[in-house]
Amino acid sequence: MTRVFLVDDHEIVRRGIAELINAERDLEVVGESGTVSHTLGRVAATRPEVVVLDVQLPDGNGVDLCRSIRSANPDIRCLMLTAYDDDEASFAAVLAGASGYVIKDVRGQRLMDTIRRVAAGEHLIRQDVADQVVVALGAPSQSLTPDLSLREGQILQLISEGLTNRQIAERLSLAEKTVKNYVSGLLSKLGMERRTQAAVYGARVDSHQQSRRRDL
Amino acid sequence: MSEEITFPDMPRSELEKTIDELVDRAKKVLTTEGRLRSLLRANRIVVEELELSVVLRRIAEAAIELVDAQYGALGVIATDGGLEQFIHVGMPEDQVEAIGHLPEGRGLLGAVIETGEPIRLEHLDDDPRSSGFPEKHPKMDGFLGVPIRVRAEIFGNLYLTNPRSGHFTVEDEELVSVLADTAGIAIENSRLFAEVTRRQRWSAALADVTSALLAGDQGDPLQILVDHVAELVDAYLVVVATPVGTEPERGNDLRVEAARGEGAKHFLGRVFPSQDSLSGEALIGGQPVLVEGQGAGEMFHDGPETGPTLVIPLSTFGRWIAAVSVSRRVGDPKFTPAEADMITRFATQAAVAIEIARGRSDRQQLELAQDRTRIARDLHDHVIQRLFATGLSLQSTAGQSAEAVRGPLLDQVDAIDTAISEIRAVVFALSLDHRHPGSSLRHRLLDIATELGASLASTPTLTFRGPVDLLVRDVLADDVAAVVRESLTNVVRHAQATRIEVEVAIDDDLVSVRVDDDGIGYSPKGHVGGTENLRKRAANLGGACSIRKNPNGGTRVLWSARLGSDQ
Repeated sequence: MTRVFLVDDHEIVRRGIAELINAERDLEVVGESGTVSHTLGRVAATRPEVVVLDVQLPDGNGVDLCRSIRSANPDIRCLMLTAYDDDEASFAAVLAGASGYVIKDVRGQRLMDTIRRVAAGEHLIRQDVADQVVVALGAPSQSLTPDLSLREGQILQLISEGLTNRQIAERLSLAEKTVKNYVSGLLSKLGMERRTQAAVYGARVDSHQQSRRRDL
Repeated sequence: MSEEITFPDMPRSELEKTIDELVDRAKKVLTTEGRLRSLLRANRIVVEELELSVVLRRIAEAAIELVDAQYGALGVIATDGGLEQFIHVGMPEDQVEAIGHLPEGRGLLGAVIETGEPIRLEHLDDDPRSSGFPEKHPKMDGFLGVPIRVRAEIFGNLYLTNPRSGHFTVEDEELVSVLADTAGIAIENSRLFAEVTRRQRWSAALADVTSALLAGDQGDPLQILVDHVAELVDAYLVVVATPVGTEPERGNDLRVEAARGEGAKHFLGRVFPSQDSLSGEALIGGQPVLVEGQGAGEMFHDGPETGPTLVIPLSTFGRWIAAVSVSRRVGDPKFTPAEADMITRFATQAAVAIEIARGRSDRQQLELAQDRTRIARDLHDHVIQRLFATGLSLQSTAGQSAEAVRGPLLDQVDAIDTAISEIRAVVFALSLDHRHPGSSLRHRLLDIATELGASLASTPTLTFRGPVDLLVRDVLADDVAAVVRESLTNVVRHAQATRIEVEVAIDDDLVSVRVDDDGIGYSPKGHVGGTENLRKRAANLGGACSIRKNPNGGTRVLWSARLGSDQ
């Protein structure tokens, strides 16, 4: 039985997903939460294998929350759930260090399949997508795109490789808290802590920039 | 018994003579007093009026009355020296017509203009400067010509002929000279009054324009400007041109943004080089340009010949935004300095109003954008979430239901799913960031769909699956955009479709494009070139292309390319 924890601020969405999950023989919802603040404690108490979390939450964002969960317990797999589209979801999932993402559409058994694959240890974020996220975030050519510092660039690269905050802190000899702040900084530069994710679509990369980023 | 008193002859005649002289002088004093009264009356009549044409006629009438002449006239001197106007009194209309033309300021009339001094003659014909009279001109003999000065400048002359007394006296000359002085003052008053009236009219017009521009819903600000200017200065062609590009440098082209007058419609939207054009000169110099006339075709090869032309550059916040060119017809009066000054001020203030109006229009655009963002957020936060939740619970109900109901329930789930992805596309379109056009493939495809959708019954629906923007970039993005454009163009040209669906998706390491229409179907004859192109592109990029009939009518285009195949 795969233990699943749900984080979404819409109660009807949680109820809908829980009904679906509980209808499956091999899946079980062990806990739910609608806010960031309630999640960490409940996750620690229920010890799920997979956490499904919305990108946007009333008191914070799913990206930071996902990183906190994984830093505390790297064995827990996370799935980002979002009403936005694939491009935005990809950004969120890569930055969160999630194993995958699910768009809020209902066709077929995609959500169940994804939960099972993630629980089995599969990483569903394609490497080319992770690379492009790093490239797009690093591109300095657009005014809306944040001009990342060298340190932020390093951290971003390690994030895209799937390291948790704790692991990044060890790798770069920084306090975990410092890494966390950097990540929050990245998110706020992207406007991802707010609801204006469209900003990142301004990103455009010239080939020169692309090769420089890959050398990092 | 009375005794007759007799006086010696000599003393008596002396006395009578003295008395006669006294009576004579008294008569003269009376006459002079009478003439002074006439002069006063004449002065009063002259200064009573303010309308210039009436003032000039009154002056001539007062003058003939004052010296009891048969004919009188007032000639206004033109800037080139001849006579610009000739106001005559005392001659019947039929006689004037018989003569044919008015004097042009030659001969004696010209002499008064040249000397600037009064000329008094007993017999016109005796003077060598007289150039004689045309046929049918009545006989004129005694002549008096006196200049009228306005602020030390000679404005014109008073001409008087045929005094009833036979000839003009020194006294006549003095009286008419005094009348001429008064006339000068009256003319000046009249001109000042006209000036004030004109300024009032301009201020009123400017207020009209400003309020029209600020009201915002009165149409194009530049068109409002040209309409008013054309009316106010009696111009027959007013054109506003703006620089194409940002800075009015030499070589930049200008475009006609608004025009009024002869052939105005014809000029609207035309582009012409700023070089060697008056508008260009005004914009580059930042100064008004005033010319006597422009030859035909100077602005456009088929443009008309224009008379006096004034071009004013408009600037706001230190930027030259437009040139207003005001032309009269060939032979029309030039723009006076006052008119030029007025037009300049008018244009300057109108420019500010235009800038304000544009600022407001920008703000409205921004408000619209904010509204759209809000709608997008509502759709995302509430509508999609609810549909999603409903779909989920339908799906779970279906799972627990009997076989017979499960099918229809799952169809509903599919329908909800389609609705969600369509709403997602709307959310994306509504939150478009227009500051970075062309930066993402999805933006470009939306633009293409909107552009080509204009020639269709409805705009094509566009959906995306997978991180299209992230993975389809650079040259490959160009290819996909070209494929979508070509497919849609084919549908527009040949298919007579009412509904088109476009889906761009990431499937493993392929990007695939699907275009479905409900048109009359695929005919390979009509557009071989286009489809051949699609196939070649797909083959070059490690993908495939197929075009076939849909089972339920219409055509389906499937096209794919391998990701990373362009590198």
